[in-house]
Amino acid sequence: MEPAAKAELDRAFEEFYRSHLRDVYSYAYYRVGNHHDAEDLTEQAFLQAYRHFDRARRESDGRPLRPWLIRIAHNLASNYYRDRSRRPQTPLENADPIAAQHDTEAIAEGREELRQVMANLDHLSEDRREALIMRFALGMDNREIARALGRSDGATKVLIHRAIKQLQEEMSDERDD
Amino acid sequence: MSETTDPLGGNWDVEALLTDALRPIEPPERLSGRIEDTFAAITQSAAEELSAWAEELSESELRALRDPRNWVRPVVAVGAGGIATGALVVLELRRRSKQKSESGLRALSSGVRSRL
Repeated sequence: MEPAAKAELDRAFEEFYRSHLRDVYSYAYYRVGNHHDAEDLTEQAFLQAYRHFDRARRESDGRPLRPWLIRIAHNLASNYYRDRSRRPQTPLENADPIAAQHDTEAIAEGREELRQVMANLDHLSEDRREALIMRFALGMDNREIARALGRSDGATKVLIHRAIKQLQEEMSDERDD
Repeated sequence: MSETTDPLGGNWDVEALLTDALRPIEPPERLSGRIEDTFAAITQSAAEELSAWAEELSESELRALRDPRNWVRPVVAVGAGGIATGALVVLELRRRSKQKSESGLRALSSGVRSRL
């Protein structure tokens, strides 16, 4: 690659990295449940992205690269569990992303409901949980989620619908008990 | 906080709860420094690899390299190899030492841009 083209590629990657660091970190945190491993996962995701960035840009046909990046993080997270035969050290219900973002009164009112929804989220199948993390933590639309998960748009819509329905049913059951 | 239950005791508004619960998380500042350090180290590794490789060349090889038609292949090879091996070395060293240091985004910017 010629130096000028390489410099342009590196500038593009730098911008890409700045734009999506929070996305990758949020995704990683909600997957592994603790900051330490989320940092490792985030770093590895960007290293892999850097190695394949040129090809990904050429093959993207101008489409956003966020789903491709999140798919890298998704694969790394899957390997993280498979290789080390472990589950999140911290269950999602104990993850506390909201503490710094609500006032004290709101936390007192809403914490139990939030704890409950996070606990039930942890009980979902991996693909349903991932789809909800992408939708709500990263704000991805159905098409982006479909690309990140390697599914069709229709299958992704059904996946999200069923995930939300399952959460609703489980929380209603818990209230009735 | 948004209303998350039906006033008549019906279904939970799970989407509202998820919006509250799954907020984006700001990465810690140390993570930016760490990733930038990694990219800077990869850059350094690639440069050192290129330097060591050049020292081993014979006179005839050096003459051949002065011909611009021969530039593309070694640059691509060292670029790809430098990134791959550099990344692996850096990750392994990080796992062993867990050293963390701070540096600005400038390190990433200048480091990555100057690589080959």
